[in-house]
Amino acid sequence: MKQYDVVVIGAGNGGLAAAVKLLSAGKSCLVCEKHNLPGGFATSFVRGRFEFEASLHEFNGIGTPENPGSTRLLFRELGVEDKIEWVQLKDAFHLISKEEDYRFTMPFGLEAFAEAADKLYPGGKKYTEQLFSVGLQIREALEYLSISKGKPDPSILKEKYPDFLRFASCSVSEGFNAMGFPKMIKDICSAYWCYLGAHCDNLGFIHYVNMLYSYISGGAAIPKHRSHELSLAFETRIRELGGDIWYNAEVTRIITDDMGHVSGVQINDGTEIKTRHVIANCSPHVVYGRLMDPEAVPERALKLTNSRKLAGRGFTVFLALDRSPDDLGIKEHNYFIYDTCDSVRQYKNMGKLHENSAQATVCLNRAIPDCSPEGTTILYMTTLFTEDVWSLVTAEDYFKVKNEVAASMIDRFEKSTDTHIRDHIEEIAVATPITYARYCGHPQGTVYGYESQYWDGLLPRVMMVEEDHFVPGLRIGGGYGERLLGYPSSYKSGYNEAVRTLRDMEKEGE
Amino acid sequence: MLFNIISERRKMIDKAPANQLPSTFAVNELAKALHPGYIPARIAAIREETENVKTFTLVPASSNKVFPYFRAGQYITLSANIGESLLTRPYSLSSSPKQALEGIYEVTVKRDGLFSSWLIDQAAVGTELVLGEPGGDFYHDNLRDSNKVVAIAGGCGITPFRSMIKAVIEGSEDYQITLIYGARTRSDIIFKKELETLSDERIRIIIVLSEEKAEGYEHGFITADVLKKFAPESASFFLCGPDEMYRFVKDELKKLEITDKNIRHERNAAGNRNVDNPRVFKLKVRMRDKVYSIPARENETLTVAMERAGLNAPSRCRSGICGFCHSKLISGTYTVLKEHEYRRAADFKFGFIHPCCTYPDSDMEIDVPTV
Ligand SMILES: Cc1cc2nc3c(=O)[nH]c(=O)nc-3n(C[C@H](O)[C@H](O)[C@H](O)COP(=O)(O)OP(=O)(O)OC[C@H]3O[C@@H](n4cnc5c(N)ncnc54)[C@H](O)[C@@H]3O)c2cc1C
Ligand code: FES
Repeated sequence: MKQYDVVVIGAGNGGLAAAVKLLSAGKSCLVCEKHNLPGGFATSFVRGRFEFEASLHEFNGIGTPENPGSTRLLFRELGVEDKIEWVQLKDAFHLISKEEDYRFTMPFGLEAFAEAADKLYPGGKKYTEQLFSVGLQIREALEYLSISKGKPDPSILKEKYPDFLRFASCSVSEGFNAMGFPKMIKDICSAYWCYLGAHCDNLGFIHYVNMLYSYISGGAAIPKHRSHELSLAFETRIRELGGDIWYNAEVTRIITDDMGHVSGVQINDGTEIKTRHVIANCSPHVVYGRLMDPEAVPERALKLTNSRKLAGRGFTVFLALDRSPDDLGIKEHNYFIYDTCDSVRQYKNMGKLHENSAQATVCLNRAIPDCSPEGTTILYMTTLFTEDVWSLVTAEDYFKVKNEVAASMIDRFEKSTDTHIRDHIEEIAVATPITYARYCGHPQGTVYGYESQYWDGLLPRVMMVEEDHFVPGLRIGGGYGERLLGYPSSYKSGYNEAVRTLRDMEKEGE
Repeated sequence: MLFNIISERRKMIDKAPANQLPSTFAVNELAKALHPGYIPARIAAIREETENVKTFTLVPASSNKVFPYFRAGQYITLSANIGESLLTRPYSLSSSPKQALEGIYEVTVKRDGLFSSWLIDQAAVGTELVLGEPGGDFYHDNLRDSNKVVAIAGGCGITPFRSMIKAVIEGSEDYQITLIYGARTRSDIIFKKELETLSDERIRIIIVLSEEKAEGYEHGFITADVLKKFAPESASFFLCGPDEMYRFVKDELKKLEITDKNIRHERNAAGNRNVDNPRVFKLKVRMRDKVYSIPARENETLTVAMERAGLNAPSRCRSGICGFCHSKLISGTYTVLKEHEYRRAADFKFGFIHPCCTYPDSDMEIDVPTV
């Protein structure tokens, strides 16, 4: 029987980062991926003369080689930095909201953002500056928490990070109210909420403001050759370090021994592989609900998993248009289009199959002008469904329903931006929760792991990492991990679980 | 307690039930129904269409009563062990999506090459095959295409259009079809009776015979004149047939100023390339923890070399577009023909190939995913 120090289940961002870290530490490692490509959501696909990005809108925490962000530093440590070519994005977002009649662009850069807010709302500068100073404190406090491995010194926290403590248990709405923000400032500063997929009454302040600060202070980037470039950079690194990666290899069972410790995995063709350590880059619902024998799952693991809420189920319309963005009047790279900036109402509306009216839309050519042939445009529109409305669709209706939903997103984009694209569609692909369920296997087609509700957000998850660890030899990382969804978080989470696994191995004298 | 939020989270977990978790979910089940991967099937009937063409009716060989639903125009793959080799080939479905839900798929096959000839000459009612789920992007999309479709078929390229025509008649698809079908003589017309007795105002059939003059048929090739005569205004053109037909008809369409957006063609599998006295190279294939050293002929694709050696090589579209055979190049030089070059940009950067349309120019080593 083949044997490895560690088996990683899934070659998503988290699994890839975990494998590289383990291999760098000299451990033997096999990555089993059920799909025929690495990357999970981080991939691309070709239709006709176009290559579409499958998921990424923007990647924060990259910075520049001279002024690196935290993810660039991570990539540097893992030996993949030089394998990736980045393109920096110019603006943060273009917000369109019907109810408030908003249509404006916000730039990256703390000062520029504050100035822009001031122009939109006289006096806005003061509020945003105040928020960014809290943001900086949050970032530093989270770093301190991670250094102190979950056992921080309360007096240091109180003295150095008072704002962090003050907002630790707040939702975004509570935090903004406590800071006395006027509505428009709230709206500007909470525009990114759809990236985290929970509405502001529920979304943890710490999680959100940490992300906002990271975007605005450090800017964002995308890889020149779609996120397939990221995934192949990691998979190449795994090969360089002597690791193995098997495709079309779905893990169907995690095997435990009499002591309840991981002892191996089984893959879909029946092959068993011996290992004492597994890092699962998939959902705990899958791990505890399907991969493990029911007797081997501790009760607390069931309770924790049952307590959580599945986050948004993804939906994306990918379009290739046979005109240039200039011809079509598409000016921005990154649009947030809402009916209302009241995120609670908008979130509710995203629970309906035919009425979901929110979208985050990217024109890739505005970041990478030559991403498609001259005179053409790549545009993709994403939304989330906050309820399981796709469960009710039948196989027979499926293609019709998905195009109906896609059509309403295209209409909304045209109306909101005064553009006309419908007659210029040369290629179209529509990904629904069914598509996402098919490719990554997550429950109900969720793309964002477990929802970032304030009680299950970044801070409590980070603080309770060890408490959430139940099965010796088994760690779970990626978008379902303690840092929640997103590219930077999933890489970091995979890395962290690898570090913990190395520590587990050391403790067990391996 | 430093953070109330921690005790709050503990409380939420305490409150939750310790029920066993669901082992699957509705959306995941629908995904599985539409994309089951491989499906065991059996030949239930064989119908001779013309001298060299047969239609095979396939039914599930498992307890499943239905086949996955699909979009008219898509293809499946058929796999079977033939001699030492395990072969997999794509075929357009000639049956309708609705029939899939009744547990019927049909493929219509012309005697040609190893696998198709085996089907025609050897396969019989009762023969078991493994099917690969429906795929491909040769279908009508109401957001992209005109509701007036001009379907241009050459020879066996009629198959996906039969599916589309049936789908329109059954009401699962909603557009008008003008079928312009090129065949050599009347006896080469596949589905002749079916097409000629069809009466539906949404469907118009024009048959163009190249080697015979006959009443009620156009004569010659599918030229700009023929297209001008029969194609409605602002139509979408769908082409399925041999590569020479694509080259010819696309030039004719250009004369009518039809833009690329409105022309789609089904891609043909990469065949052998023309090389005088083809050399035989050494191909080292890594598949998981196994390594195979096999011969690879210069004029054949790497996938064919693997199949000849009895390896279970990934194979779906065989034309470079689906990416299913995505493999790591370890060493060696190779050629990919332009019409099959659909790799992603990063594949070039990190050295990945699609063996189904890659010809060896030297000894090579590749790492291929196991199926
Ligand atoms: C449309 C869309 C847009 C997005 N935009 C952004 C954005 O702009 N910025 C951003 O930061 N984030 C974005 N995200 C989120 C981001 O893509 C994800 O959070 C991140 O990719 C998750 O990575 P992961 O490590 O959890 O792995 P996943 O991508 O979830 O991959 C898991 C992998 O595990 C494999 N697997 C699962 N079960 C098994 C098994 N039993 N055996 C073997 N393999 C298995 C799957 O096949 C898959 O490859 C977006 C997501 C989507 C869908
Ligand atoms: S089989 Fe489709 S690309 Fe090779």
